[in-house]
Amino acid sequence: MQEATFLILTALAAGSQHGYGIITDVEQISIGRVRLRAGTLYTALDRLRSDGLIEVDREEIVESRLRRYYRLTPTGAERLAEEADRMRSNAHVAISRLEMSGGVSTT
Amino acid sequence: VSDSTQLERRYRRLLAFYPKAFRREHEQEMLSVLIAGAAEGQRRPSLDEAIDLVSNAILMRLWQTCTKLFVRPSYEYRHRHLLWSVRFVASLVLFSIGMFVLAYGSWWALPFLAAAAARFFVGYRIYQATKTSLPT
Repeated sequence: MQEATFLILTALAAGSQHGYGIITDVEQISIGRVRLRAGTLYTALDRLRSDGLIEVDREEIVESRLRRYYRLTPTGAERLAEEADRMRSNAHVAISRLEMSGGVSTT
Repeated sequence: VSDSTQLERRYRRLLAFYPKAFRREHEQEMLSVLIAGAAEGQRRPSLDEAIDLVSNAILMRLWQTCTKLFVRPSYEYRHRHLLWSVRFVASLVLFSIGMFVLAYGSWWALPFLAAAAARFFVGYRIYQATKTSLPT
């Protein structure tokens, strides 16, 4: 799973959000490191939706502009959980090996 | 013409690079996002934005072209068991010829082996296709 995909799914894990909300949330989650652009975001959303990982929650018109809210599907939540588990176990191994070598302190 | 409508028109021009179906589905919400991200009084898309929009559009079109190559006529799916056997035997024959030619140390073996692999791959893909993924 690409990092952008992982961050988008994470942004939707707590509840539904619209496009611009996802962009600002992803920026926050990644501590300012990842700023998604519209083309990348919607290419990813389109693919995630056809893969059944997300779905449209509702639509609103705000100041005559369309806002479409997306939410995680049960399959999407499952995939995100699997990926998070995998990353945690990898990170755990990396940290413990670094500590074993006594070279770097990670705290 | 006000700054915002000028900006919107320029964004629309960039969105025109995307495939029609994608635009029908996402153009309005993408415009919302692009306008929401624009600075006060901004009149043209930034270079980063333009590159992001156009490069994603080109990749999407390329990807669609590639997947279209794997969409076979529907009769192939109806007779997929028979066609799988035919392609399997054909790939075995081509593979044998390829190995025979290879034994003589000739590079002419490569096209035979490639053709064998292609027949095997296409045949198996179609054979594997489940009822749900059959074209209607």
